[in-house]
Amino acid sequence: MSTEDEKGVSRRKFLKFAAITGGAAVLVACGSSPTTTTSATSSAATGATSGAATTAADTATMAATMAATTADTATMAATMAATTAATATAASTSASGSMPQVAAEAMNPLGLQAGTVDGVFFAGGFGDDYIKYAAKLMQQLHPDTTVKTQSIQKVQEQLQPRFVAGSPPDVIDDSGAGLIAITDLVRDGQLMDLTPLLQAAALDTPGKKFQDTLFPGSQDSATFDGKPYGINISYTISGIWYSKPAFDKAGYTYPKTWDEMLKLCEQIKKEGKQSPWTYQGKYPYYIYGIVWNMLVYQAGGNDVLMKLDNLDPSAWSDPAVKRATEDLYQLWDKGYILPGTAGLTHTESQTEWLKGHAVFIPCGNWLENEMKTLTPPDFNMTVSNVPGYADGKGDANAVNASGGETYIVPAKGKNPKGGMEYIRVLLSKDSSKYFAENVRAIMPVVGGTEGAKLSEGMKSAVQLVTDSKGVSVLMNFPNWYSTLQKELETHTGELMTGKLKPADFMTTMQKAADTVAKDPDIKKFKRTK
Amino acid sequence: MNRGKNGLIVSFLALPLGLYSVFVLFPYCAAMLFAFTRWSGLSSVIRFNGLNNFIKLYNDEKFWHALSHNAIALVILPPITLGLALFFAFLFTQGTRFARFFRIAFFFPQVLSVVIVAVVWSFIYHPTVGLLNASIQAIGIKGLTSFPWLGDSRTVFGAVLGVVIWQSVGFYMVLFVAGMGSIPADYYEAARIDGASPWVMFWSVTVPLLWDTIRTAIIFIAIAAMDLFGIVLVMTNGTGGPSRAADVVPTYLFSTAFSDGNFGYASAMGLVLLVLVLVLSIVSLRFTARESFEY
Repeated sequence: MSTEDEKGVSRRKFLKFAAITGGAAVLVACGSSPTTTTSATSSAATGATSGAATTAADTATMAATMAATTADTATMAATMAATTAATATAASTSASGSMPQVAAEAMNPLGLQAGTVDGVFFAGGFGDDYIKYAAKLMQQLHPDTTVKTQSIQKVQEQLQPRFVAGSPPDVIDDSGAGLIAITDLVRDGQLMDLTPLLQAAALDTPGKKFQDTLFPGSQDSATFDGKPYGINISYTISGIWYSKPAFDKAGYTYPKTWDEMLKLCEQIKKEGKQSPWTYQGKYPYYIYGIVWNMLVYQAGGNDVLMKLDNLDPSAWSDPAVKRATEDLYQLWDKGYILPGTAGLTHTESQTEWLKGHAVFIPCGNWLENEMKTLTPPDFNMTVSNVPGYADGKGDANAVNASGGETYIVPAKGKNPKGGMEYIRVLLSKDSSKYFAENVRAIMPVVGGTEGAKLSEGMKSAVQLVTDSKGVSVLMNFPNWYSTLQKELETHTGELMTGKLKPADFMTTMQKAADTVAKDPDIKKFKRTK
Repeated sequence: MNRGKNGLIVSFLALPLGLYSVFVLFPYCAAMLFAFTRWSGLSSVIRFNGLNNFIKLYNDEKFWHALSHNAIALVILPPITLGLALFFAFLFTQGTRFARFFRIAFFFPQVLSVVIVAVVWSFIYHPTVGLLNASIQAIGIKGLTSFPWLGDSRTVFGAVLGVVIWQSVGFYMVLFVAGMGSIPADYYEAARIDGASPWVMFWSVTVPLLWDTIRTAIIFIAIAAMDLFGIVLVMTNGTGGPSRAADVVPTYLFSTAFSDGNFGYASAMGLVLLVLVLVLSIVSLRFTARESFEY
């Protein structure tokens, strides 16, 4: 037995030792590899749409998931005066900051008055340089307006109190893992109807309305009952990714139909060097939102997806849904998926894929930026559409593309016109070129990548958009009904690990959809095209 | 004189009590009221909803599913954690060699934040590069190559509970070591003279004299079993695991409030959880009540 005295000493020593080793362990935990960290922060859907699941720089902040809120409240004037790297790049790329040619009627179509615009923005994978760049452009356009930009990480945590108190900012980038569900804001009447903005003249595309400069379909996910309540400022293209050089070297050709895909998988499996497929196991979003939805579309066309969106009581037993689900299930059933995939996060599975352990992975075009630091040289990741059916009802060239990184203008803000004007400036050609070159992502702006230097992956993605001739595939119900999205997420995970057979998947999902349809607490949305 | 003293006490207590009421008591009470409303959490529009939230909760399969996992944790965690903690505490107060080193080593996980523990263990459970699968392979078991411990609905909750036990044993061990330190050495000497084995000494001297500490520990760990929020959230990436097989009430509550925008319904869950924890504490106090020894 130790005496009282002795214990005191040992406890002090012990605490000291514990503190030192504890600190060391924290360092080890934080510094290990970029893949360690994002796992805890982002949830699938948000990570996907906003590209929030991100690069090493962002990752470093996660170590303390809880601590990472940067409050950059400096006004634009102050930021411009400061010699930060951010403003330096902004100035150099915009030809010494001079405004592009703006026609007289495009100067101030919204009738903005002198004052302050209070903007709060999520700064994730895209960073906030492009936000400040657009603020600077706006400042030049309207010298009597002050644009305040604040970059934050956790939108809901920081802005919920302001919404409840009735004093929200004028414009918000509502993205990232901690976003406020836009449906909740719409349901509460907290958002401006952005029709005036869409009808206003575009900033630097002469003779066009703002609306006509945006990619068709890019704003659908922010449109509720036909009214625009948000503007998606990024455009993501999803499909199946593979390393072009490795693919060619092995003598494979990219399949045109799903049957050919399965044949190719069988060949790859027999060769035994790689698994044919992997996916972001812990986030089945990548399967249902990139592969399954495309198969449903290819089999049954837009009508079937519309039935699913409108919570039709027979939607989930549609033959197209059956065909897509059964065909997707083949990947698991025939053993084409990399063993252990179900236990991997997005970055972990993408790392396995980069190591060449699997040939295909479904993802959006944020993949390139997200895996930048781990991609071997000459990997040349390339994206192609999910192959469909020769006898299907869908358009074989349709692209799985959608808008993301949604900007909103609160209805109760002090200067909603200022908020809308900011978005108009942000989606100008000038600003989207800056975005394409510096953020390596695409804004849904016609001609927005003109003259910009693009990577191989970006080029293949832009090619898919060009080939689609404006036909994009849309599945809205996961965005509209978060409870249903979680069900789909769960059951897709079960389907892809053989826990649920295709027929049970369909009945279970129909039941879940019926529950949502009956719940009076959930606001319903409809679409007719 | 007496009045002056009261004034002093009041002035010292005013600030902490004020802060406590504003930041702790008021939110508690507010949440109890929200439980009877329909509120998105995003506006000042709060509609009274009567008992509907509770009726919905009663019929909510996902809630019962989550609660069942808390119940499993409640059955599994206390005996294993406290059993191991008692065992190690007894061992390390018997003058074992390197006892101090082991005490530190066992307490160490407690020093780490839950998030770090969860992230580190997620890597240990990693299917392809994880330490666990590598060790299993190293000892020659081939069947489990690339087994996704956190990606399989049969193993995910067990994997999480394993981490909870690993992390909390040290804390209870230190609690018990401190308690054992205050048991007078004479009792052990007397027992030894009477020829008692260490095993008998443990059951007949240590455990009865430590009973008050053990009771406290039982309540602590029972409440911890009803929580498990942080570790489940991080290890399952907020999804509750495959097939929600590791979902617990607090994580379900969190996603209801923050991703479904349904603060009213989530507050109802919180209220039910509060009642359950209170009942649990009272029950465990009653069941473990024994005459305490004076020494």
